[in-house]
Amino acid sequence: MQPAPDTGKPLCIARLTKSYESRSGGTLAALGPVSIDVEAGEFVVIVGPSGCGKTTLLHLLAGFLAPSEGAILVGGEPVSSPSIDRAVVFQSYALFPWLSVIENVEFGLMRKKLTGERRREIAEFHLRLVGLQDFANKHIDELSGGMKQRVAIARAFAVEPSILLMDEPFGALDALTRRLLQRELLRIWQEQRRTVVFITHSVTEALFLADRILLMSCRPGQIKGEWRVTEQRPRDVTSSASVALEREIYALLDEELAKTFGQEGLRAT
Amino acid sequence: MRQAAGIAGGARRALPFLFAAVSIVVAWQLVVWITKPEPSILPPPGAVVASFGHLIANGELPRDAAISLARVFSAWLLSAAVAVPLGLLMGSSRALERIVNPFVELLRPISPLAWIPMAILWFGIGEAGKIFVVLIGAFFPILLNTIAGVKGVDPVLLHAGEVFGCDTRLSLFRRVVVPASMPAVIVGLRIAFGTGWAAIIAAELVAAQSGLGFLIANGMDVLRADKVLVGMIAIGVLGFLFDTLFRFLQGRFGYAS
Ligand SMILES: Nc1ncnc2c1ncn2[C@@H]1O[C@H](COP(=O)(O)OP(=O)(O)O)[C@@H](O)[C@H]1O
Ligand SMILES: [Mg+2]
Repeated sequence: MQPAPDTGKPLCIARLTKSYESRSGGTLAALGPVSIDVEAGEFVVIVGPSGCGKTTLLHLLAGFLAPSEGAILVGGEPVSSPSIDRAVVFQSYALFPWLSVIENVEFGLMRKKLTGERRREIAEFHLRLVGLQDFANKHIDELSGGMKQRVAIARAFAVEPSILLMDEPFGALDALTRRLLQRELLRIWQEQRRTVVFITHSVTEALFLADRILLMSCRPGQIKGEWRVTEQRPRDVTSSASVALEREIYALLDEELAKTFGQEGLRAT
Repeated sequence: MRQAAGIAGGARRALPFLFAAVSIVVAWQLVVWITKPEPSILPPPGAVVASFGHLIANGELPRDAAISLARVFSAWLLSAAVAVPLGLLMGSSRALERIVNPFVELLRPISPLAWIPMAILWFGIGEAGKIFVVLIGAFFPILLNTIAGVKGVDPVLLHAGEVFGCDTRLSLFRRVVVPASMPAVIVGLRIAFGTGWAAIIAAELVAAQSGLGFLIANGMDVLRADKVLVGMIAIGVLGFLFDTLFRFLQGRFGYAS
């Protein structure tokens, strides 16, 4: 089978903010205002210090949270609730442990009007894409972390979403597995173009993956820097161009880290 | 190969239990040798084994055991049929939980055994009264474990469910909440079987003409300590066997959560 030659949809984030009600009755400004335009099929990586509102942003994009202000448009349509058109890959995999590997990949296909046979075919195709065709009938808890995340990636691509949202998807994996999965993700994405919003706190990961890197400031997170990465893939993150860019990003990131520590220092006193 | 490893593993787990059983028998025999009690107070293990064989051969023990088990199973199933759905709903709906929880918290401290007199008054000494007592004993462990199971569902699984096609609360409930709570439900069912098993024996001690509880009570009336001990051993062994069976099912169907 051939997947639809879709390139995803453009994403428009306009003056988005989010505050949480704190327990003491006040509000905590977690994010924004943030405005980002992502082209159809673009791979955007957002880097930022911990606690700056990255997960909040992703949950807003997914529709798990409602914005305090601002708007999110996908292909011109406002986002109001979670949708299969915006698939998510979670850091903790979020696979369903009562289902087998292939049933997990099929989960998202149930609502599409497909025959059981066709569903199986699509799921098998995507399992093959992540190299897990021989594990189709295994239980989730028989898999390693890296394999679980590959299943989650297969589950996300299988529903042919317009946008793929990834929140530190490789954050829980060891360095080598991480390297492997970064490569696999790029390979699949180059075959099946989707708009990707990928969150990480690893600058190296951003340099390896992104069409465009956005740097978030510390809480409430705003876009503090933006870089287009034009180097051909597969990239060598030790090339002099990459290292120069890395240095530039770290210069800004370090300012934010200093502020984060400042905030935490204040909170401690 | 794998099967051989499985059997060896099973033997390794069974060994401590065998050791415990043998130790109990040895200690018992020693007590009998040293204190020389009247056989009507504490018969030697050998006499109880003989009695065991006799009660099996004449059909009394299998009949009473089957009756007790049938009562527990029917009451436990009835209890589960109410407690599992109720627990799933209470775990998912704050409003329902707020309404029903006070009833649960007020009734739960009343031991099922305390219900036996009312059960006799209401239902007489027929089957219904005993089933009622077990039903109460089994109800709360199932209910509370099910509620805890639903509330303990990892929120990230709910998010995953919402993203991957559960666009109504009902479909999220059916496709994610219910299966994700199953390990806790199975734990509740196992615990409930244990409390139900304890409750049925107590109910039969007080008001029955059959069952293992009756066998014990009857043994005491005719001063046959050996018969009482046979009944007690049968209760212990059956309780242990069913608990083991449930643990096995738990490992088989209750994936690690
Ligand atoms: N549900 C919530 N209620 C209140 N505060 C929250 C909630 N979720 C996150 N926060 C706060 O919002 C800030 C941003 O959190 P998050 O988006 O998780 O950051 P990141 O993913 O970048 O580490 C943090 O200070 C965090 O404590
Ligand atoms: Mg986060």
